[in-house]
Amino acid sequence: MSYLIDNTEGAQYLLMGNEAIARGALEAGAKVVCGYPGTPSSDIIESLAKIAKDMNIYVEWSTNEKVAMEVAAAGSFAGLRSMCVMKQNGVNVASDFLLHLAGSGTRAGMVLVSCDDPGALSSANEGESRFFARLVEIPLLEPGDFQEAKDMIKWAFELSEEIRNLVMVRSVTRMSHASGNVKFGKLPPGDVHAVFKCDGFILDPMEGAVMSLPVRYKHALQQEKIKKAGEIFEDCPFNSYHGPEKPEVLIITSSACNLYSREAIGILGVEDRVGLLKLGTTWPLPPELLKRHLSRTDKILIVEEVLPFLEENVKILAAEMAPEIGIKTFHGKNDGTIPAVGELNPDLVVGALAQIVGIDYKPVPDEYAEKAEGVPTSRAPARELTFCPGCPHRASFWSIHNALQLDGRKGFVCGDIGCYGMATLPCGFSTLKTLHAMGSGGGIASGFGKLGRLGFDQPVLAVCGDSTFFHAEVPALINAVHHNSDFTLVVLDNSGTAMTGFQPHPGLKVSAMGEDVTSVDIAEICRALGARVEIRDPFDLGETQETLNELIEDKAGLKVLILRQICALSPEKKAGKKYDMTIDDEICLGENCGCNKVCTRIFRCPGLVWDKEKMVTRVDDVICSGCGVCADICPEGAIKRKEVA
Amino acid sequence: MASMQLAQDPYNIIITGVGGQGNVMASRVLANMLVRRGFNVTIGETFGASQRGGSVMSHLRVSATSSWSPQIPRGRVDVVIALEPTEGIRVLKDYGNPQVKILSNKRAIRPVGVIAGELDYPSMEEIRGSVQELASSAWFIDATDEAVKLGNPILGNIIMIGALSGLGVLPLEREDFKEAILRSIPRDKLDINLKAYDIGRQIIKQNEDSTGN
Amino acid sequence: MKVFGANELLEDVFEKNLCIGCGACTYLCPYFRSYRGKTAILFPCNLTQGRCWAYCPKVEVDLDDLSERFFGRPYEKDPLGFHRSVKISKAGRQVSEGSFQAGGTVSALMSFALSKGYISAAALTDREGLRPVPRLAQSTDDILRCSSSKYTASPTLSALNQAINEGHNQIGVVGTPCQVLAIAQMRSNPMGDKDFSDPVSLVVGLFCTWAVDFREFDAFISERIEGSRITKVDIPPPPAEIMEVYTDNGKIEIPLDEIRELVPNTCSYCTDMTAEFSDISVGVLEGRPDMNTIITRTERGEKIVDEARKEGFLILDDIGKENLEHLIWAAGNKKKRAFIKAKQEGMLNAREEGARCYLRVRPETVEEIIA
Ligand SMILES: Cc1cc2nc3c(=O)[nH]c(=O)nc-3n(C[C@H](O)[C@H](O)[C@H](O)COP(=O)(O)OP(=O)(O)OC[C@H]3O[C@@H](n4cnc5c(N)ncnc54)[C@H](O)[C@@H]3O)c2cc1C
Ligand code: SF4
Ligand code: SF4
Ligand code: SF4
Ligand code: SF4
Repeated sequence: MSYLIDNTEGAQYLLMGNEAIARGALEAGAKVVCGYPGTPSSDIIESLAKIAKDMNIYVEWSTNEKVAMEVAAAGSFAGLRSMCVMKQNGVNVASDFLLHLAGSGTRAGMVLVSCDDPGALSSANEGESRFFARLVEIPLLEPGDFQEAKDMIKWAFELSEEIRNLVMVRSVTRMSHASGNVKFGKLPPGDVHAVFKCDGFILDPMEGAVMSLPVRYKHALQQEKIKKAGEIFEDCPFNSYHGPEKPEVLIITSSACNLYSREAIGILGVEDRVGLLKLGTTWPLPPELLKRHLSRTDKILIVEEVLPFLEENVKILAAEMAPEIGIKTFHGKNDGTIPAVGELNPDLVVGALAQIVGIDYKPVPDEYAEKAEGVPTSRAPARELTFCPGCPHRASFWSIHNALQLDGRKGFVCGDIGCYGMATLPCGFSTLKTLHAMGSGGGIASGFGKLGRLGFDQPVLAVCGDSTFFHAEVPALINAVHHNSDFTLVVLDNSGTAMTGFQPHPGLKVSAMGEDVTSVDIAEICRALGARVEIRDPFDLGETQETLNELIEDKAGLKVLILRQICALSPEKKAGKKYDMTIDDEICLGENCGCNKVCTRIFRCPGLVWDKEKMVTRVDDVICSGCGVCADICPEGAIKRKEVA
Repeated sequence: MASMQLAQDPYNIIITGVGGQGNVMASRVLANMLVRRGFNVTIGETFGASQRGGSVMSHLRVSATSSWSPQIPRGRVDVVIALEPTEGIRVLKDYGNPQVKILSNKRAIRPVGVIAGELDYPSMEEIRGSVQELASSAWFIDATDEAVKLGNPILGNIIMIGALSGLGVLPLEREDFKEAILRSIPRDKLDINLKAYDIGRQIIKQNEDSTGN
Repeated sequence: MKVFGANELLEDVFEKNLCIGCGACTYLCPYFRSYRGKTAILFPCNLTQGRCWAYCPKVEVDLDDLSERFFGRPYEKDPLGFHRSVKISKAGRQVSEGSFQAGGTVSALMSFALSKGYISAAALTDREGLRPVPRLAQSTDDILRCSSSKYTASPTLSALNQAINEGHNQIGVVGTPCQVLAIAQMRSNPMGDKDFSDPVSLVVGLFCTWAVDFREFDAFISERIEGSRITKVDIPPPPAEIMEVYTDNGKIEIPLDEIRELVPNTCSYCTDMTAEFSDISVGVLEGRPDMNTIITRTERGEKIVDEARKEGFLILDDIGKENLEHLIWAAGNKKKRAFIKAKQEGMLNAREEGARCYLRVRPETVEEIIA
């Protein structure tokens, strides 16, 4: 039995923030939970999927975030508490529906969890989702520790039912992926009966039609709801203050920054000078609460990630209240006290606070700092990112790169979101030349493919993963086919959403809950669109490259090459090596003309190591995954593969 | 409820290594052992690209009272567990202080730049030299080699936890290890993990030579 | 001889658009490959000295040095290069019918050398559609299949390099003058390899004034034949100024002036019309579509021609004075024009330390040629 469904009230577990959120949903009695995988949000759906059957809840990895939010909304409309989960930019994808849903209102409690990634630790952006709450006028909560991550979810459902609208809960990587002690509450009884009541008066919120029309009426209603939320927030248990009655400096913060700020105050020993106002309800801000705190200080430091969301909103309130509370000095992102980009940490907050309170802080004695400085960086050589040993993408990009070089017309690849985005780096032979949002590779390629009449003559490729294909690639392909745009799409089909840890997607026969489902065939979709479709194994380097060149030269509009090979981290692959690899030292040419270390200098699978003493290549058996591809890279046949019996 | 006084509160541990070394599991197991002793533990980890050859660090904060920031401030680590020796140096440079202790695996995982012959990997003497320069005490053990003897290099992380228990700086009990590890592995793998834990503990207990200074 | 590496090859040949795509630098290593008539570098190579550079006929070719090596004397102004004899010839009765370009001399010589075991395989040039395809011929049938001229530059030497990789060490090659120049450099062991042994046993050179760029030619012809299949391409000897393209939908004729537009610039720097570093060189004979002009240069070349004649593989005859004079005039003309151009552009005999150039040859010789 998973500890997540332990029904002992008061039991304590070490939970990841995302697990705490999942447990919160369980304690709230959520019945429909959907999402689209994206670090740092994926573990929420994953941990719920594992226990979905035991708890009689419906959990789904949806095709994309907009669909996830729609599916969850259906749950709410049918009287079931529902939650949808996504990473920050997923909210952008869902935002069109989000706007309309906020206008129509919800029935049973519905919560949107967005996990932002300040510092872009595993994203191609450090976008802010909090602004959506203000933009579409729904309440926003931000947990400030792990216990809150659980408790706040339950509270969010209650709030949602109170105001009959969606509530947004925003986490960040350092909250979602960090772990801490969490005390459990009770799980509710499980029986529910889903029904969508829609026979009532058209404008009846619980039995009428669910829609954002008539807009003036519904919009006004929505604004009443958000106003009510603001009132509730005045005594919300997730807003707290620690510090002196009249602090010299007031820190206002939320989320993980709460922990950083608390620690910074402790490190500087300024508990009697600095107050900490930690907000759990960051939109709308409770005005009375803020007025109380703002009036007791002159200097305010706002600590938040990433954009100055709190800062701007607090400043608006302070301007409105200026006659009562007086003129304040604000420090934060806008005046540069807090760095404008990247994630924060205790040290950065210490730095900011030390500057304001005039303390000269040194983390370690000078003598030690000098010693540490004196240890050359070469003692810990840099680790550049690379594909895993045995990764199919290394092989795929090897062939794509070579096909483009052979073609010689300065062709390039439009990238997409997935591990393969790393192909902008040497590990993917620097093949990707554009990288944006999910599905953008195909869309951008579709555009390039139409520039021929304007003098453009470079071959255009796009790559996308299997999951990305379903998420947002298809409309771009339809656009390309319809407009007869000339490009080649390479689908890197590694049978799962590898980057975020193998969540199923529509191409597979199994759902998040482990049930049999209908798989949707990428090749068939592309054929149905009218594209020429080829399927190859990327580990067959020669054939892959030849096919690519053939497709690049084929001027027949959209061509699709599906490169099928399972991810090296998949359970199947991890179970055992296919080949034992060895190097024949006698044959290895090493740095000599005729090879010049193509295996370690260029191909760079971490399983191969250049032996500087012997001047030959070696296989590191602990790291090599036994895919066998490097044997085909070696021009001399020095890398031998032997099938593991 | 915490059953032993911590030398510091919070007591800060960094487990560092390279993607694929079992860093995340090691930090979970260690943290769960301490939670069983009644402590609040906060873990901060860097996931994401961690599977893909980059450095991976887990920050553990052990406290009798509350959760702490998932990122340890500079200069504030109490003990470093380096699953890869040069990663230990990287951590000491940023988080070390005159009192810090370090437990380091000897098995190198060479960065791609080294594999390609573009960068040099320091010798074991150089590594020891730098570590001893920055740490008050240091232990170097052959965790991966021992793990390979047990049949799976990944057990190196468990050997390191066993070794940490041998240092006596934290209330780590074999019984807690058993319960904690069972949250991450199937029961039939328990024996081999216990063996790895014991080997790590013995290396520290028996071999005085492994003490650096 | 100075030797540099792939980076310099890129700089001096590729970036200056001098690559003819001969294939000499391909398949020596994983980096250079030929594809659809163009030589591509797949990944950068940072060696300071390499065979790719050393073999390339378009950079740092030391004509005096090569001439010393092969003929025991420095390079001279003779438009035909060092030679022992100039005759006319055609295939003899021992050679089966083939779609020869002219007299079938080349195919006859290769067939003979193979049948006598003088060579174990021949690096030749076949065709798929319009595309020249390097082939390693190992039978007479293979040789005959490769007969007839492909007027596009061809990476023929990639077949030679692949044959060497496979361990062949008695290889015959047929190539254009630039290819023959690359082979000569290859055979003189420029890298000073201690256990070097010459893998090439017979080099037959073709006369050549220019070749066209395959990709441009392909695009040009495709537009005009609209999907028909090409069966043969021919340039009848002068004075006809046309190219004939035979397809399964009939023949089309294209004025040679239009074809010359497709000739890569690098051909205008080529000083050699008669493949001066071959064993035997063969061209057409003005006014006699069934015959070839044949030049022997080395002792070995002379011996093979002689034996081939005796054994009925080759029919030889004397060349008329007018034909010889015309040949000398044409070859001299090409040489002179190219030397003038190269000199004007400062591509001869770079002198500064470490400087690289296109050709090295005694300045006196250059003056004699230009005069
Ligand atoms: C690009 C080119 C330009 C030429 N220009 C002239 C010229 O200006 N004046 C002149 O007198 N003769 C020229 N020739 C030579 C002429 O066309 C005949 O090849 C030659 O006379 C031999 O005739 P044959 O009947 O003996 O050839 P065949 O017995 O038919 O044999 C032809 C041989 O040429 C080889 N070959 C065909 N195409 C190529 C190629 N592109 N690169 C390398 N080898 C190839 C084949 O492997 C084959 O072995 C040229 C040839 C080529 C390929
Ligand atoms: S590619 Fe082959 S020959 Fe070259 S260094 Fe690697 S193992 Fe040696
Ligand atoms: S077989 Fe070669 S390419 Fe595959 S993982 Fe091992 S070293 Fe890497
Ligand atoms: S120097 Fe040698 S190994 Fe490098 S590109 Fe040239 S031929 Fe290849
Ligand atoms: S050797 Fe031939 S193919 Fe290679 S660069 Fe020189 S001319 Fe081009």
